[in-house]
Amino acid sequence: MEATFASLLHGFAVALQPDNVWYAFLGCLVGTLVGVLPGIGPLSGISILLPVTFGLNATQAVIMLAGIYYGSQYGGSTTSILMRIPGEASSVMTCIDGHAMARKGRAGAALCIAAVGSWIAGTFGIVVLTVVAPPLANIALRFGPPEYTALLVLGLIFLAYMSSTSLIRTLTMACTGLMLGMIGIDNMTGHFRYSFDLAELGDGIGIVPVAVGLFGLGEILATPSTKVVGEVIAPRLRELLPNRQEWRESALPIARGSVLGFIIGIIPGSAHIISSFLSYALEKRVSKHPEEFGKGAVAGVAGPESANNAASTGAFVPMLALGLPTGPITAVLIGALMIHGVAAGPQLVNEHPDVFWGFVASMYVGNLMLLALNLPLVGLFVTVLRIPYAYLYPLIIMFCIIGVYEVSHSIVDVWIMLIMGVVGYALRKFGFDPAPLVLGLVIAPMFEQSLRQSLIMSNGNYMIFFQRGIALVLIAVSIVLLLLSAVSFVLRKDWRAKLAEAEGGEGG
Amino acid sequence: MIVRADHVAGAAFVAFGLGVFALSGDLPIGGLSMPGSGFMPTLVAGLLVLFGVVLALRAGESAPLADIDWSDAKHAILVILIAGAAIAAYTWAGFIVTMALMVFAFLVIVERRDLIRAAAYSIAATLIAYGVFAKGLNAPLPIGPFGF
Repeated sequence: MEATFASLLHGFAVALQPDNVWYAFLGCLVGTLVGVLPGIGPLSGISILLPVTFGLNATQAVIMLAGIYYGSQYGGSTTSILMRIPGEASSVMTCIDGHAMARKGRAGAALCIAAVGSWIAGTFGIVVLTVVAPPLANIALRFGPPEYTALLVLGLIFLAYMSSTSLIRTLTMACTGLMLGMIGIDNMTGHFRYSFDLAELGDGIGIVPVAVGLFGLGEILATPSTKVVGEVIAPRLRELLPNRQEWRESALPIARGSVLGFIIGIIPGSAHIISSFLSYALEKRVSKHPEEFGKGAVAGVAGPESANNAASTGAFVPMLALGLPTGPITAVLIGALMIHGVAAGPQLVNEHPDVFWGFVASMYVGNLMLLALNLPLVGLFVTVLRIPYAYLYPLIIMFCIIGVYEVSHSIVDVWIMLIMGVVGYALRKFGFDPAPLVLGLVIAPMFEQSLRQSLIMSNGNYMIFFQRGIALVLIAVSIVLLLLSAVSFVLRKDWRAKLAEAEGGEGG
Repeated sequence: MIVRADHVAGAAFVAFGLGVFALSGDLPIGGLSMPGSGFMPTLVAGLLVLFGVVLALRAGESAPLADIDWSDAKHAILVILIAGAAIAAYTWAGFIVTMALMVFAFLVIVERRDLIRAAAYSIAATLIAYGVFAKGLNAPLPIGPFGF
């Protein structure tokens, strides 16, 4: 514990260097704007701005990109409360009671509760991350190829189990991502695979063109400007503070949301989205006045907003300690670290303590910055929200093209982005979530290598996954999850359908 | 029989999986004790075919294909065509010319905005972006035949 504390102090020494504070601030500001703007989510924001970090060192890059991630969770609540449009998916639940509060003249109070709840949850998440990640990384140092294979299988099955779409749809998307991840030179034999004589495909398909295409361009293709209409309720600065009753009503939901969100955040899947849905359901269940939900209940804002922020911090635990992405955003962050020559995973804490502890400490600083940013700058965000979408999306497409081209100065990447935009549009139409595809793409090289190494180690005996303790436990959990899914399938009692039903009911 | 969304989606994934099989002909699969470069693609393509079949078999739970809302398709096609033209011209016409024309085309062709305002906005936005990326962040942007 003392060693952790000393390392954290070292992290603060890194994070508080003026350059790093500046990049944390820039990340938080851009992240908040990304969260505020409809049509551009944290993933496309991070992907588009990834090339901007090429001139920075790894610590600065990850500090800035992570700032965009958790900043967007803060910013997403602003449009939800003021316009009833979720700036990003995890803010859907905040729309219901946040906007109802705004209609009752309590927009400022709703924004303040969302910001304070987000700050408390974010800080709670970082404290737990500080304590949990280093010992977990030490355990992960014992992992060999079979353990990594089992862990990745568990990650994929967990993702499918927790996903808001069906198990088959999620696994199909993950397999498509795995397939795309196998394009290029095979690291173990040197064979060119599916590169169609294009030298640019020799290194494989990059994460950035795929992520920007699926999430950035795909979203724009599916959103004509005529569909983006919104009336903004602008709060006055003096109305920003909640009254005593509202503070009291928000305290326990913030505490519950923080714990629930962090736990769900560690699990692979769309954790920050699921956590806000579950937190809303939990608050309604424990409330003495459930009839107030949907009409401006304070707990309906405080719980989900805290939960989605705690979840976004929780997602960093497996990313930093195991090198395992729990979702597409952490996958892109792992990609960003790799571009800077740093491998996320158990070695990170020992081999790159500046990056690890500087990053952790910067999150404490960043969360404080976000609290200071979100409330006083609400007027600026309202002004941004008034820019017509018709003028905004051409700029977003321009940034997508710049961002993707600048990664490796390859026009092939930009074409891939356009193709992925079309694929993303089609996937939306047919009810597929593209997030598992990005995850599959990122883990494909690691998954293939660890599976093949495991088989070589065991001379082709699959029992290697059942003969080693850690791998056995991981595979057993995977089997239990598959059995649970099979039971839901046979009994036709899918918790996702119930969640969607509940969402429809609340929203209505 | 009503054709449903998952019939089409399932068939697409089966076709994708079979396409991968067809393209994997020259890749050695190897054995379990020494898996070759075709081992994982074959495994994953097999899973894609399997999941595609399951999707198609369970298609009754999905919406009829005719019920999918394509009202945004015109917008999507125009955006794809304009962005595609811009990408084709990007490296030889240069950043400023391509991006200014692209933003202008979005505003005039897709959004039916006033010509003068659209021109002013597209030039100003492109120049600001050029200043931020090329000058502020030292990102090398493509240069056209006119030197910018």
